[in-house]
Amino acid sequence: METTTVAGSGIGLRAPHVDEIVATRPAIGWLEVHAENYMMAGGPALRALAGLRHDYPLSLHGVGLSLGSAEGLDVAHLERLARLVDRLEPALVSEHLSWSSVDGAYLNHLLPLPYTDETLAIVSAHVTRVQDRLGRQLLVENPSGYLRFAGSAMPEAEFLATLARRTGCGLLCDVNNLHVTCANLGGDPDAYLAALPPAAVGEIHLAGHAVNDADGHEILIDDHGSPVAPAVWSLYERALERFGPAPTLIEWDTAIPPLAVLLAEAAAAGGRLDAAGRERNARAA
Amino acid sequence: MPALRELQHGVRAALLGDEACVAALDVAGDALAPAARLGVYRHHVLTSLTAALEATFPVVVRLVDARFFRYAADRYVRAHPPAGPCLFEYGASFPEFLAAFPPCRQLVYLADVARLEWAMNVALHAADAAPLTAEAMRALAPGAVGDLALDLHPSVRLLRSPWPVDRIWRANQPGAGDDVVALDAGGACVQVWRRDDDVVMRPLTPAALALRTALAGRRRLAVAAAAALTAEPDADLPALLREAVDEGCLTA
Repeated sequence: METTTVAGSGIGLRAPHVDEIVATRPAIGWLEVHAENYMMAGGPALRALAGLRHDYPLSLHGVGLSLGSAEGLDVAHLERLARLVDRLEPALVSEHLSWSSVDGAYLNHLLPLPYTDETLAIVSAHVTRVQDRLGRQLLVENPSGYLRFAGSAMPEAEFLATLARRTGCGLLCDVNNLHVTCANLGGDPDAYLAALPPAAVGEIHLAGHAVNDADGHEILIDDHGSPVAPAVWSLYERALERFGPAPTLIEWDTAIPPLAVLLAEAAAAGGRLDAAGRERNARAA
Repeated sequence: MPALRELQHGVRAALLGDEACVAALDVAGDALAPAARLGVYRHHVLTSLTAALEATFPVVVRLVDARFFRYAADRYVRAHPPAGPCLFEYGASFPEFLAAFPPCRQLVYLADVARLEWAMNVALHAADAAPLTAEAMRALAPGAVGDLALDLHPSVRLLRSPWPVDRIWRANQPGAGDDVVALDAGGACVQVWRRDDDVVMRPLTPAALALRTALAGRRRLAVAAAAALTAEPDADLPALLREAVDEGCLTA
């Protein structure tokens, strides 16, 4: 495997685009895939990804480890992740600050956690175990929030900052999730950004969200089904000012558009990354 | 504030069934009520898992229509949520669920069509293995082919149904036209496997089925051949073997 770092902007690799990317090898900085979509024993999807891996740096984005499960980490699933990491040698491996599994049931959602000392102890232990098993740093992503537990004792950003300090994990700052969470739960996105330790941020996610009505209240849904919203681009620029030009991914999962649309979004992120890089260099000089 | 384990049990109950559980969850209800907030998560859990089933069982969707499928899937998801996060593994028990689902009782063939689609899903994701070639087989055992212990390719699945499920499946592919399959047209005995990168299916004669079933049990080729002859005394053994090799469904 030739390429070991990711830089600039990338796209989430989705099934409808695989053949076109294999055939045309477009100029994309890097690709990200959901780890759980490639944990099969064999077959064409895995083979296509292994082929693309020769031409593009890869980020492996887990959605199923359930770092916040009180009943413990699914060790068999961690082993499957470790085998996939060995096989694909990704530049980045990430997961979410959330939980999905309880009592043998996987609920297929990044479910919210109360931000308490108990949760911090559980998630820290799980992140440490994952990093020990993989022998590398894990990036942990802020989820989209639709509810807050009344017993949450600390803000999410503070929880993430403490988690990074305790475990040495990195952070994946999903700017769209941050925008969605602050809109749904009340919160200042800039204060959130300011509470994250810049040195820990190893990746940024961008995506579109939907604006829905729930019982007469506006609620933002993180459906990854549209272009990045203007407010999220603007928040992204402020994130780059604070974090520097962290590798940035465009995610699109519902109503998936032609590849060219995704590439244009990635180019729009790339332009902002270049500008942030130039500004940083100018300041340093 | 309940302990995290207790809270997660409560969220599961509130998402998959008992909506009254929401009250115990200590959800902050600022502008929007806790139940509505939890409803956002429930909607995603149910629709995303239904979509996973729709992707694995497209012909069942067509046979029962999309609306009824979503109703059946909702019941299935609530009663049988996935055991793990790899969704290509979700739905193994959906055929049995359909077989026992009272509203589907009239569609006697439906569960077997679902079994066929599940077999195709398993074949797609099975391990890779180099198929045995005729040359390699001769080299393995010059003069003593009967002693070979061959294996079926990891993707091979053998199915038998009293209903013509293979014809039903083909008649419900996009662009298949308006062919009507007669339910009394006879049962099906089929092999599903992955050839190159495509999942394919073919009907098997009783002898071909017996040969493959014996090989799947790691029996020697001579024993498998005897099984084929028991099934069909006048079976052409060399032709049966050649066919299996040509299909790429044997491995050493």
